[in-house]
Amino acid sequence: MTDPSFWPWFVGGAVLAAVPILNWAIVRRTLAVSGRFTGLVDRIRLGPTEDTDMTEADMVAALQAMTEEAFGPDAIDSDLADPTAASDAKPRPRQDSYTHVLFLLALVVGGFLATLMTGDPAITMGLDSKLFAKTFGEDPAIQALVLAGGGVLVGFGTRMSGGCTSGHGLCGLSRFQPGSALSTASFFGAGIATSFILQVMW
Amino acid sequence: MRERILTVLIGVGFGFALSRIGFASWDEVHGMFTFSDLRLLFTFMFAVALIVPSWFVFERLGMAAWVKRSIHPGTVAGGVLFGMGWAISGACPSIGLVQLGEGQLGAIWTLVGIFAGNALYAWIHPRVFGWSTGSCLDD
Repeated sequence: MTDPSFWPWFVGGAVLAAVPILNWAIVRRTLAVSGRFTGLVDRIRLGPTEDTDMTEADMVAALQAMTEEAFGPDAIDSDLADPTAASDAKPRPRQDSYTHVLFLLALVVGGFLATLMTGDPAITMGLDSKLFAKTFGEDPAIQALVLAGGGVLVGFGTRMSGGCTSGHGLCGLSRFQPGSALSTASFFGAGIATSFILQVMW
Repeated sequence: MRERILTVLIGVGFGFALSRIGFASWDEVHGMFTFSDLRLLFTFMFAVALIVPSWFVFERLGMAAWVKRSIHPGTVAGGVLFGMGWAISGACPSIGLVQLGEGQLGAIWTLVGIFAGNALYAWIHPRVFGWSTGSCLDD
C-alpha cells in the first residue's frame, strides 16, 4: 500500500527530527503549528494586542505585582523566580501574526516543491486518495462536508488540548512533558479508534 | 526580520519533509492508524527518539528554557477530538497546508474547518471551561 516514492522510516524520521531541533537551535522556538492558527484566530478576534510591545522583564514584573496584589506576597512561587529552572521558564514574547501567516504559507510552498521535484504536479478537487473516496463516497459536496467537519474537530481539539502533532507530539513528548505525553496518547488513541470504525464503513 | 526569514525557511523544509514522508496522504495516515502500514508510525517514533537527546544537549548548552506543559482538563478531551478529526480528514494542522501545496484542493475545506473549530473553542472556552490550555507559542 505504501507509495514506494515516500521516504523510508529512518530517512523520514531523521529529517522530521531535524526540523524541531533546528528550530530550537536557530530561532529558539518550539515548533508550533496549531498554536499559529490560535495566534491568527486571536489576532482576528481581538485585534492587535499591546502586550507584545512589552519587554519580557516588564511583563514578568507586572504579572508578579498583580499576583502579589491579588493573593499576597506568599503567592509568588520562589521556583518561578529562578531563571535557571528550565521547565518553569517565563514565556517569551510570541511571534507576530505576519510570521504565523508566512510560516503557514511556507508549508504550502514546501508541499508544492516536494510535488514538483518528485512527480508531475496534478490538481485534485478532493483529496488524492482512493480510500477516502471509497470511505465517504464520490460526491464532492459530501466530501467537502466531511473534510470541513474533520477540520472543525482538529481546530477545536488542538486548541482545547493546547497543541498538536508538532508541539505536543514531536517537541513535548521528547521533553517528557506530562501534558504532551497524555495529549499525544489521546490523539493517537482516538485516531486509531476512529480509523478502525471508518474501516468498517467500506 | 532574521527570525522571520529563518522561520519561513524552516517552514518550507518542514512542508517538504511532511510531503515526502507521506504524512499528507489520507491513505498513509489511515494505514498508520489501522497498523496496516507501520512506516509512518516508525517515522514518528524514530523522530521523537532522535529529538530526546537533543534537548539534553540544549540543556548542557544553557539553551533550555521552555515552558512546562502540564496536564489540564482539556488535555485528553481535546486530544480525543483532534485524533478523531485527524483520522477523518487525514490532516493534522500543518498537513492541510501541505496538501494544498501538493494540489489536493479538498484541503481548503479542512483548513476552513480548522479555523472555524479554533475560533469556536476560543468562544466557548471562557464561557464554559476557563482553565489554561498552554501554547507552544510561549517558548
